[in-house]
Amino acid sequence: MNTDKAFRLSLFFFTISSFIIVASIVVSLIATSYPIFMRDGLSFIIRGAWNPVREDYGILPALLGTLITSAIAIAIALPLSISLAVFSSELIPGKFKIIMNNISDLMASLPSVIYGLWGLFVLAPILHQFVMMPLHTHLGFIPLFSTRPVPTNLFTAGVLLAIMIVPFASSVIREAYSAIPYYLKEAAYSLGMNRWEVIRMMLGYIKSAIFAGTFLALGRAMGETVAVAMVVGNIMRFPKSLFDMGYTISSLIASQFPNAEVYEFMVPALYGGAFMLFIMGLAINLIGFSMMRRMVVHR
Amino acid sequence: MSFRKIKERIMLGLIAILALLSAVPIFAIIFSVYFEGMKHVSLSFLIDLPPPPIGDKAGGIGPALAGSLILIALALAIGGTIGFFTGLFLSEFSHTKLAQQTQMILQIMVEFPTIIVGLFAYTVLVLPLKRFNALAGAFALAIVIIPYIALNVKEAYKSISFTLKEAAFSLGLSAPTAYLRVLLGAAKSGVLTALLIGMAKAAGETAPLLFTILGSTFTYFAGLDQPIHAIPLLIYNFALSPYERWHQVAWGASAVLLTIILTIFLVSRMIIRGART
Repeated sequence: MNTDKAFRLSLFFFTISSFIIVASIVVSLIATSYPIFMRDGLSFIIRGAWNPVREDYGILPALLGTLITSAIAIAIALPLSISLAVFSSELIPGKFKIIMNNISDLMASLPSVIYGLWGLFVLAPILHQFVMMPLHTHLGFIPLFSTRPVPTNLFTAGVLLAIMIVPFASSVIREAYSAIPYYLKEAAYSLGMNRWEVIRMMLGYIKSAIFAGTFLALGRAMGETVAVAMVVGNIMRFPKSLFDMGYTISSLIASQFPNAEVYEFMVPALYGGAFMLFIMGLAINLIGFSMMRRMVVHR
Repeated sequence: MSFRKIKERIMLGLIAILALLSAVPIFAIIFSVYFEGMKHVSLSFLIDLPPPPIGDKAGGIGPALAGSLILIALALAIGGTIGFFTGLFLSEFSHTKLAQQTQMILQIMVEFPTIIVGLFAYTVLVLPLKRFNALAGAFALAIVIIPYIALNVKEAYKSISFTLKEAAFSLGLSAPTAYLRVLLGAAKSGVLTALLIGMAKAAGETAPLLFTILGSTFTYFAGLDQPIHAIPLLIYNFALSPYERWHQVAWGASAVLLTIILTIFLVSRMIIRGART
């Protein structure tokens, strides 16, 4: 009986190590970043500045960059991932369904640095020539497109993020879609609805799953680092349009941290950014999880 | 044709087009990586030191490949152990409050920005040692893969039929023997898949390595407390460098990394399919 007890104890030990890790991460974020919050207070978050020589830091432009790139990503990814989920669970026969799902899973497991490399050398020039330049030349009077684009900017980062998060959003939607009770579909068809009308009804039925998938994908987009750092332009200034170069919080950390030790307040400032990122990500994921749970209870 | 009929056609067509469109990038990426990368990959590319940025000297990614293999093995040893036993706990004590809360924590860890994990490893393992080191990188990677392994191991043990579990325990086996010898056989394919998922994740992650291993270009392995290189980090550094020659090496390294990822992916699919039939 003693081995059983020891075994159970070791299971317990391994299990709580996850709690210890997460707790220490939060503690280290707070402990390292508190000097910058003590010195600057809120102005660290609501100002734009990055001048290490004068030890002047304000991360609002990077926060905006994170919000803008993830907003672009969600706007593009949402219709794509809903279509992908519906297409693979409703419109194609079983064999192709498995192929489609495998493709989607492969997209989710591709390293982000490969997305970044492809984004930098292939996607960015294509977007620049065929999307951004035409939009700028013909619709440049709209503030969104007013900056003369270079290949790497917030828009490119948003599109690349969209490509990266589609499989995550679509797998959440796909799972919910395939869990809809069959009799609902039968009832809808027996009322004389056509296929599109049935699909629209089913999508209405899994609305909370679509929201959950969107929020989880949004969390991914906000936290993504290297792929974004490779295509976002990496300049600290307030973005004047979608085509402006910029920073996101995570890409700011990635590219500024290597020389941060030299300055007194730069490490705290970057940890402060990481802390903000952590808080935003946590909030968004908790909303996503609670929606998913509601979905389960709903059934 | 009625208006409803036309609308149906248009909407179904739109769904099909958007769905296929969303699958285009993966093929474009695989094509680009192999088209641009394979030109530079050879046996010596896998072994040699990186070339100088200027000039036509051949070179390779030897230190990065060696470093990646070491980091993957270490990360799997640390993260695999913690993840496996956590998953076992989640499956066998799923009724407990601790299991529910652990599940929640693991889901949060899955969604954690990995750059934060890198900062954490920097704080606890780079600063005290006053040096970038392999162990810090492996530790960061381990943290990243724990939740993936734990959640998948849990599913693997959950899928064992209750009668088999009952039978194992009715033989009077101790818990370790029952779980780790008898029932592990039944959960084998699921556990293996979990480890493979963790392995793929550890092979491809870059952000946790940015501030932990530094990327020593000229040594393969100098010790766990010394800097080490890794393929994803090399791709990132070289792609952002201004040198054309290094861009080529980055493409070649991507082809190697993609091959590793695709192999792991295919093997895990085969295991899953083998388990089903």
